[in-house]
Amino acid sequence: MYRFILRRILWSIPVLFILSLITFFLMHSIPGGPFDTEKQVPKEIKANLERKYRLDQPLWRQYMEYSWGIVRHLDFGPSYASRSRTVNDIIKDHLPVSAQLGALALAIAIGTGVPLGIIAALKQNTYIDYASTFLAILGRSIPSLALGPFLIWIFALKLHLLPVATWETPQHMILPAITLGAAESALLARLTRASMLQVLREDYIRTAWAKGLPRPSIMLRHALKNALIPVITVMGPLFAVIITGTFIVEYIFAIPGLGRYFITSIGNRDYPVIMGTSLLFGFFIIAANLLVDISYAFIDPRIRYQ
Amino acid sequence: MLPLRRQTAEAPTVPRAGGHRGIWADAALRLAKNKLAVAGGIILLLLVIAAIFAPFIAPKGYAEGSLEQNYATPGKRYLLGADFMGRDLLSRIIYGTRVSLTVGVVGATLATIIGVIYGSISGFYGGRIDNWMMRFVDLMYGLPTLLLIILIMVYFRSSSLVGVESNPVIKALSVIDDAIGGMFFIFIGIATTSWLTMSRLVRGMILSLKEQQFVEAALVAGASDFRIMSRHLLPNFLGPVIVAETLNIPNYIIIEAFLSFIGLGVNPPMPSWGGMISEGFRGMRSYPHLVLFPAMALSITLLAFNFLGDGLRDALDPRMR
Amino acid sequence: MILSNRKIRILFWSVTFLALALLLLGCTREVVKEVPVEKVVEKRVEVVKEVPKEVVVTKEVVKEVPKEVVKEVEKTVVITPTPSPAKVVYVNAGTEPPTLDPALAEDSVSINMVENLFVGLTNFNPQTSKVEPDLAFRWVVSDDGLTYTFYLRNDAKWSDGKTVTAHDVAYGILRTLDPKTASNYAYVLTAIIKNGEAFNSGKITDPSVVGVKVRADNILEVTLEHPAAYFPGIASMWVMYPQPKWAIEAHGDKWTDPKNIVTNGPYKLLKWVHSNSLVMVKNPDYYEAKKVLIATLDFRMIEEESTAMTMYEAGSLDALGGSLGSVPLEDLDRIKKDAALSKQLTIAPSLTTYYYGFTVDKPPFDNVLVRKAFTAAIDRQRLVDFVLKGGQKPALTFTAPGNFGAVDAVKEGIGIPFDPAKAKAWLAEAGYPGGKGFPEVTLMYNTSQAHKKIAETIAAMWKEHLGVDVKIVNQEFRVYLQTLHTDPPHIWRLGWGADYPDANNWLNEVFNSKSPSNNGRFKSAEFDQLVEQAAKEQDPAKRIDLYKKAEKILTQDVAAIAPIYHYTSVALTKPNVERTFAPFGGEQFNTWKAFVR
Repeated sequence: MYRFILRRILWSIPVLFILSLITFFLMHSIPGGPFDTEKQVPKEIKANLERKYRLDQPLWRQYMEYSWGIVRHLDFGPSYASRSRTVNDIIKDHLPVSAQLGALALAIAIGTGVPLGIIAALKQNTYIDYASTFLAILGRSIPSLALGPFLIWIFALKLHLLPVATWETPQHMILPAITLGAAESALLARLTRASMLQVLREDYIRTAWAKGLPRPSIMLRHALKNALIPVITVMGPLFAVIITGTFIVEYIFAIPGLGRYFITSIGNRDYPVIMGTSLLFGFFIIAANLLVDISYAFIDPRIRYQ
Repeated sequence: MLPLRRQTAEAPTVPRAGGHRGIWADAALRLAKNKLAVAGGIILLLLVIAAIFAPFIAPKGYAEGSLEQNYATPGKRYLLGADFMGRDLLSRIIYGTRVSLTVGVVGATLATIIGVIYGSISGFYGGRIDNWMMRFVDLMYGLPTLLLIILIMVYFRSSSLVGVESNPVIKALSVIDDAIGGMFFIFIGIATTSWLTMSRLVRGMILSLKEQQFVEAALVAGASDFRIMSRHLLPNFLGPVIVAETLNIPNYIIIEAFLSFIGLGVNPPMPSWGGMISEGFRGMRSYPHLVLFPAMALSITLLAFNFLGDGLRDALDPRMR
Repeated sequence: MILSNRKIRILFWSVTFLALALLLLGCTREVVKEVPVEKVVEKRVEVVKEVPKEVVVTKEVVKEVPKEVVKEVEKTVVITPTPSPAKVVYVNAGTEPPTLDPALAEDSVSINMVENLFVGLTNFNPQTSKVEPDLAFRWVVSDDGLTYTFYLRNDAKWSDGKTVTAHDVAYGILRTLDPKTASNYAYVLTAIIKNGEAFNSGKITDPSVVGVKVRADNILEVTLEHPAAYFPGIASMWVMYPQPKWAIEAHGDKWTDPKNIVTNGPYKLLKWVHSNSLVMVKNPDYYEAKKVLIATLDFRMIEEESTAMTMYEAGSLDALGGSLGSVPLEDLDRIKKDAALSKQLTIAPSLTTYYYGFTVDKPPFDNVLVRKAFTAAIDRQRLVDFVLKGGQKPALTFTAPGNFGAVDAVKEGIGIPFDPAKAKAWLAEAGYPGGKGFPEVTLMYNTSQAHKKIAETIAAMWKEHLGVDVKIVNQEFRVYLQTLHTDPPHIWRLGWGADYPDANNWLNEVFNSKSPSNNGRFKSAEFDQLVEQAAKEQDPAKRIDLYKKAEKILTQDVAAIAPIYHYTSVALTKPNVERTFAPFGGEQFNTWKAFVR
């Protein structure tokens, strides 16, 4: 197992390297540069900017310099759009905000989704099941673009219970976390239900019933554990996405998170920020998927990695 | 190779693959008995009809409106109200079915086909193959899809910018892109990412399933890999796959909304539900109908897909008979 | 290697725990950092509510502000006891300012900040649009119009106590021009200051040959490439602000951080939480500090208009709109109907024009009749009334009213007004009666909901009045710019806002055939000659006449563009705030007043 983990960690290096290479050339092949403006400036002035950020160098050299900076000092370069800050500054400032919001949203999603799914599975084809299905589908089909402003309208403006937006106190975190968690909660609820139904009909559950084991023990120790494999698989990438920030929720609630920065940096052609955030996201994805794979072995001891 | 622990075939409970009618016919029959699933199927059928025959069903054209009637509230003249240009919302929702349903169905189909095949191979063979295939998935996850979408859009919409005007393939694809209101690039964006989670989902379940007795039994009986995957494993993991995918359909529709929100949407005046929601949410407090009805259309579609999905899941469950 | 069940379990939980711990560590650290800030804001709001009207609120604020600040604010209270009860004013900046460096500012948010942190040689009065003395109490022009001598007041101080001298201004100008600074807006200076262009492009490395000389500590002499009557206007721009050499050299790129920055304007920077809030406090060392009535400005960075609107209604913002974010157009009808909100709504002119350009060498738009027909088929008033709703002024000419040299188009009869009959006739004359046989043409815009609405509305008008189907295509912003520069579509949209309110900034800098901003390939020797002559002309009456002729060529005879509307700044302001409106550039908060609610 240790060797498996070590191998996977070593594997992440070439994956991240290829990822950086593809992203680098992808972003450079899109028309429009970081210093194009609606008011066209003389080309000498643009040349000064390109010289300053070494964009006048051949692409391969830019890439080499960029990766050398990362390898040597973990330096992800300057931001072109935010002229007084580096990519490291930006990640340091904004990742914790996104991570807090994401952790909270994930907690809401898991805390409501999984129990709802279990109940629905146990009471299959009853009104409880239908109600939870309906709720889940509703949660899934309202885009956060509409849910966010709606929650703000009700809870902040009409009921005066919570602040409208921005990121200051714990109260400010509630509405965005619910908005972000709602859709994922629905997904987890439905997935848990489906997976539970599948597992409940397995032979070993029947055996457990036959042995006369107590109901909670069967449900939790035998059924739920095995039903979690698809749920955890989906949660892996979800974790990475949600922790590194999601654009719409951060945008609607004016939250200084990394998700907003990533989308803005693409619009700005802020190359180092695009690279930095993409690599960070890639890192989280690899880590999350590794955790998922490790957890398989824990949930189902029959799964082994050579 | 698969570890075979017990070689003695003590008649494990191999799910019989469908009796004399065959697995699919059998499933179809059971599906037809499920009322909710049938209802879901009928709604979807109606939506497809609405999409195809929109010009005959919609009371007005999607681009037709009069400024004097802008933001008209729902009533006699406009059943669901009108938008900022005084265009009939009902008609736009009906026409919007074309884009949104296509995006949803294409996304789900691509994700299921690619994801199931890819994940099955990766999980079933395991070891080095699994490692390579899953590292590729990690890589694809990490790629900034948005960059890809912008790039593809450039190729289709302003090919002269990147000097590929004369390329016949690009030209042909541009024609397709034009014909569907410029949403081709959305498909490509969805195609690159949608199958990733699905493939990991399938792989995860196969890793667990392939250690079970009925697989061993099939192996002992000399079944081919393909037969084991399609006949023995597939029915066992289809439930979560269908559920996950039916739930992802709104995601694809919302991706389109997201793209039009950040400026990469379908070309106007072609309507789409996602585009309508992203256009209407700002006026939620002044003109709630602008966001309410497209969102309702989305919810109803999703409910229909889910009921059908649940029915399919039950119908295909090898143990439920 | 196969591990036992237990070991796997231990391993799994330790890895999970480690990951969670790391995450929490990140969170806790952030929380600790944020806590004092949160308290400040929360308590301050409560305090303000409870304080009786006569009490000066500033004093109450003091208790909650971090230590080092306490001193500053107390000093404020001592030196300049404010006559009216000023307080914290919350406004929406819209987005994070990309920079606070006067040499680098180029977007409206940064400019809004920079103009309140720094002051320059001259100032534009937002009410009169006239150039007024500021740092320079007077200036003299040489007879040939080439040399300007500025005399600086000697009571101007930096926020660290140093006196603002002509050296600082000269340093600021040269730093903006320096190729190593890489400033986009340096183009304003390279076009006019002697040897500025050569220095900026690296052809000259010696700054002493650039036309900026310090004659004495308080006398600055600027030499121009060519006479320019609008130069005092340029002297009000941030690119010519004084800059603190010592702070910039000590801290490099980080000199604009709150702990490093040195400013000379009405406000100084207290706190900058990126993408969240930026707080400025009154600068007691500013020479007109007595006139600055608002002690603290809290800028929020709310990009989504509807969120900002809700915050305004919930009382978390005191002013919204104009250059401080925008009032969502979907809410305008509701605001106008609402008894309270309608009184808080103001619509002021803004020096910005929205226009559609035609690519004049791309058939069928190489035919002037087609361009005229398309222009005449745009019903601008209906667009404003039903779609834009913000009281925008239909535009017949390019230069927005309020600029020097702007034409009263209706009175002078310049430009092509809405006239469907004429539009049809022109199109028929061009060979497309009723739109028959008209080739497929493209209207392109960079995506935004507003541009989309305008494009859809105008395309519908063309369909209605000309019988022509126009294909609407949207592109991502930077791709769109690239498209405009390499292969512009038949019809495209752009807007132009004044950097300084003179027609030179409009006609000459945009549509001169040598201008890099001239996207539609409009070329007219006569037009070029007119605007170049107007730039050099010293007699205001003659300049106005020259610009009138130029406008007529651009928008009527050649019809290279179809001006659509002149922007307005639609704003909401709480009753306890009295504000002014800057028709261009940043808001001048030193002219605002606020009272306790």
